[in-house]
Amino acid sequence: MFEIELADDGSVVVEGRLDAAQAVKAQTFLDQVEGQCILDMTKLEYISSAGLGVLLKTHKRLMGVGSGIKLINVSHHIHDIFRYSGFDKLFEIIPAGN
Amino acid sequence: MERKFKRDFSELKNIVAMTEAVFHDMGLQPGLRNVVDLATEELFVNMVTYNTESNEDILIEMVPHALGLEVRLTDYDVERFDPTSAATVDVNAPLDDRIPGGLGLYLVMKMVDSIHYEYRNRQSKITFIVDRK
Repeated sequence: MFEIELADDGSVVVEGRLDAAQAVKAQTFLDQVEGQCILDMTKLEYISSAGLGVLLKTHKRLMGVGSGIKLINVSHHIHDIFRYSGFDKLFEIIPAGN
Repeated sequence: MERKFKRDFSELKNIVAMTEAVFHDMGLQPGLRNVVDLATEELFVNMVTYNTESNEDILIEMVPHALGLEVRLTDYDVERFDPTSAATVDVNAPLDDRIPGGLGLYLVMKMVDSIHYEYRNRQSKITFIVDRK
């Protein structure tokens, strides 16, 4: 199960498992986002390299127009994936609980 | 436990269900799930994506190991491709130089405790072990 939607406060909320089977759904949604994107990962349980690719592509597109993605409420194990991938140097990341 | 899966990303949910059942049956600590899920997905996706000439299903076996869990993925009627020798990724590269792709196998190598590749009779078998420690 994977869901992605726009919250009332303008952030993008992701929920469930962002794997290779769901990457197209995530990319299609994020391709419509303009300006600064705050991605709330409170309910994201899992992400694989396919999901990382979606974040990277979107971040590069948005950085090209002076904005980007900020990742918030990132769980410990997903933060580990970001760290191993070097994404902690590319994205602004706010861990869960902060 | 072993099961065969069609060469389709839609099988990922069924692989996750199998992993869930194995963890339940073996009483493995939930903290290992993320590594097992990620490594199994990345290796399965790699087989589906790059071994495009085969129509054979992919076999996944999950068996107890003295250290934790051993997972084997076997692909049939394929050319040799050793994921353990895949090109490395520069994770320190700046954003402009980063491209989507290539991270999956890098993460597998980084996160599992050991990994082994065998190729025989046009069968690729990848075995990895995740240590319960």
